[in-house]
Amino acid sequence: MRRFKILCTFGLFLGLGIMTTGIVATPRPEPRPADAAPAPSVQIPIQQLTLKNGLRVVLSEDHAAPTVSLCVTFDVGSRNEQPGHTGFAHLFEHMMFQGSQNVGKGEHLILVRVNGGDVNGTTGDDSTNYYERVPANQLDMALFLESDRMRALRINQANLDNQRNTVQEERRLRIDNQAYGRTGEILEDLAYDNFAYKHSTMGSMADLNAASLADVAQFFKTYYAPNNAVLTLVGDFKTPEALEKIRKYFEDIPAQPASPPVDMTEPVQTAERRTVIEDSFARLPRLDIVYKAVPGNTPDWYALDMLGDILFGGTSSRLYQKLVKGKGVALRVAGGIDLRRGPALFQAFVVLKPGQDAEGVEKLIYEEFEHVKTDGVTAAELEKIRIQNRLQQAKSLTNTLNRARTLGRYAVYFHDPNLINTSLANYSEVQPADIQRVARQYLGEAQRTVVLTIPKPQAAPAR
Amino acid sequence: MRLKVRMKFLMWTAAALAAATAATGRSQTNQDQDKSIPASKVERLNRAPVSKEILRVKLPRPVEVTLPNGINVMILEDHRFPLVTVQFDIDGAGPLYEPANQPGLAGATAQLLDEGTKTRTSRQIAEQIDSLGATLSASAGFGSGAAILTASGLSDTFEQWFGLARDVLLHPTFPAGELAQYQSRAKPALLQQRSQPNFLANQTLSRALYGAYPAAVVSATPESIDSLTPAMLADWHDKHYAPENTILAISGDVRAATLIPKLRQWLAEWQRSKASVNFPAGPPPATQGKVYLVDRPGSVQTTLLMGNLAIKRGDPDFPALVVLNEVLGAGSASRLFLNLREEKGYTYGVYSNLIARKYAGPWTAGGDLRTEVTDGAMTEFLRELNRIRDEKVPDDELGAARRSVVARFALSLESPQQLIDYAITRKAYKFRADYWDKYPAQIAAIKADDVQRVAKKYINPATMQVVAVGDANKIKTVMEKYGTVEIVDASGKPAVEGSKSTGAGLQ
Repeated sequence: MRRFKILCTFGLFLGLGIMTTGIVATPRPEPRPADAAPAPSVQIPIQQLTLKNGLRVVLSEDHAAPTVSLCVTFDVGSRNEQPGHTGFAHLFEHMMFQGSQNVGKGEHLILVRVNGGDVNGTTGDDSTNYYERVPANQLDMALFLESDRMRALRINQANLDNQRNTVQEERRLRIDNQAYGRTGEILEDLAYDNFAYKHSTMGSMADLNAASLADVAQFFKTYYAPNNAVLTLVGDFKTPEALEKIRKYFEDIPAQPASPPVDMTEPVQTAERRTVIEDSFARLPRLDIVYKAVPGNTPDWYALDMLGDILFGGTSSRLYQKLVKGKGVALRVAGGIDLRRGPALFQAFVVLKPGQDAEGVEKLIYEEFEHVKTDGVTAAELEKIRIQNRLQQAKSLTNTLNRARTLGRYAVYFHDPNLINTSLANYSEVQPADIQRVARQYLGEAQRTVVLTIPKPQAAPAR
Repeated sequence: MRLKVRMKFLMWTAAALAAATAATGRSQTNQDQDKSIPASKVERLNRAPVSKEILRVKLPRPVEVTLPNGINVMILEDHRFPLVTVQFDIDGAGPLYEPANQPGLAGATAQLLDEGTKTRTSRQIAEQIDSLGATLSASAGFGSGAAILTASGLSDTFEQWFGLARDVLLHPTFPAGELAQYQSRAKPALLQQRSQPNFLANQTLSRALYGAYPAAVVSATPESIDSLTPAMLADWHDKHYAPENTILAISGDVRAATLIPKLRQWLAEWQRSKASVNFPAGPPPATQGKVYLVDRPGSVQTTLLMGNLAIKRGDPDFPALVVLNEVLGAGSASRLFLNLREEKGYTYGVYSNLIARKYAGPWTAGGDLRTEVTDGAMTEFLRELNRIRDEKVPDDELGAARRSVVARFALSLESPQQLIDYAITRKAYKFRADYWDKYPAQIAAIKADDVQRVAKKYINPATMQVVAVGDANKIKTVMEKYGTVEIVDASGKPAVEGSKSTGAGLQ
């Protein structure tokens, strides 16, 4: 649950928009000390219903502070993109701030900011969300802003060109001008065969350049329908009144035909894949190893998530102690499984110290994987992960915006927002034998993809 | 639930009310700079229902007590979640007090606290903290006079993990083997830092603004890292970790009444020391503008960062500068963002920032822009900086900025951590007990004249230090239009040959 993720989703603003695919607040059952009654778990009250137009609504009252957090999560992400249109879901997310029937270009951002709120949107492989946290008395404003753009987006060529530029700067900022910036894209491209996850969410410059107003209009019609979205609201409101307002703003937005299903099947990988890339900005070699595994919220996924924490979670983890401390070969090590609707990646990531032999470090990692396969893990290790999960869970719930986003993600990914209250129980089911089994089943030589990023010899500096 | 942020909705003043729905007062003069991009204008339709009321806040006050050894304890109870957060803020133990030839000593001392104590090894500490459902870390950030030790965890194991935090704070042994490992990681980490354009920009601007003052230092050097010994760390810890200079802030699921007697007992062994905290005086602002160019071959963007030294945190001009910053560049409704991103499409984001500490900090402005528009971006930055000096901020735009600052402050109180941070700030700067209660009114009282006065006083393009990180082959000539250019390398030192060229002064 302490997620490190290589592959990012992309957002509207720097700072706020970077959401890793795995920052998932999983809710909080309790540790079960053998000799004690289970501690009461933190439970989030949830009310769910569906409007006549198919918009799913999830409400969770919390009167601790006079704020409300609203999140609209659409069931569309870069996994829905076709070849030649990479990056479009994210570009479209930016267009959602460029004006609608009753909201001017940029006005959404200005109104939320001027009234003290937080606002952003993020696009990932599996979903796109839009959210704001505002003073409780601005609930109408927030609902109006979200409903107006779901009902009638208003776009023109100048605004498309403007945001195309902005998104291309985002690509340069996060990828093209950064050390290891391209590693994530290359890794996904190599590891996946299915186009859905194979291509990057940020997309290519060429595809971004080719995006047209007609594409924007079609995408809006296909994916931004109320029946393809979940609205989550957390905070200081009374449920009947909030529901009345939500109906008023959203219920007359017409439903659309269901969006086309996405084939997420991934052929079985039969041989190791491997490449080496040179990076102009990197100063140290970096090794990435990934294995395609299972979708999130499945029994094996929970076992792999715990395995990830045993190997990579925190300074007491096996590979931190082995590579950073014991052998002293790595500057940093991280990893674990990400959360996806389709086959997720179990990842290992190491930044090597200068002069270290990448092949040798790679062997040390496999050695530890083999150790798990052969000797398993201890009950104490699992207990440590469970209590850490309980901590992370409680921390993530302190923030209403986090809660709204998590509810939306669980609703869209797994049709179960109540996972916020139940998913920790799934970790409690995992036994040491399960960890050993999933290590054997998913971390095989033929199943892995390895990318080594090495510093490119530097050009002479200008004078 | 004991912690309840008390807030009420009150009618805001008529001016602010109008501001919430009025146009920003964007200048219309900024169009047509780049013919390749059609005009994409921010537009306000004013049809969204906006409540005219604004939150008025009264912060919960932490329980405060000074222990016999001088530790200033602040406890804020919050029983919503089974969590506790603890922060030791140890003034005098931060990098500002480091000897000039030892950058990184304070940071190394802090980071090695949890790598071994008299009774626990590094690995035992890591295992125990993780197994208790807690986290523990310590740091001493460059530019700061304090070292910070933070621990957080589940409330049902609080006493155990607090005991660990106390152990690493009071009984670290700085084992030679752990220090050697730290050194072998810290040096390559410097290399990594220098691959990041933002780090290079910050490093260069800090040196330009602060010269020989300790705040100029933003990282260790390979030499200073190599020279560290366990004895030096132990000595720094001995002399600079003093209870009488420490704020201990605890928030979360604890009971102050029962915790305070325990704290007296747990922390009694920490003896007062003779550590004195003599704050070094800051440098005067620069009198001449200059442009620094950090060559990063292959860059596809230019990272710009510019600024002047401005004020200390306790300066009476602080509220006016906060409002100025909101108008100029603090967020997505600010002039820089709307102009350079939303209208010009030069960037993913440009912002301005006000840094005010115990010594004078700078206001800065900057962002990452594609190389080809470096010139256009500089033109727009200067246009906006000059505009806020030369023209009064229109009433509606000013009202919106004030409202934004006040409402965001109110919203920030949702977070217990933020509440405790405000309390620490008040204590650290010796502000009055009602400082934060009155803060919104102070912001609301700022007039257009105040903003213009502080703009003219602190924002000065003629004496501004400007840093550009990018491909020098492509942007050197451009940057020469904006001042004398000095090329510096990734370590922040002047590049060896042909590094100077003369250009026109900033307008």
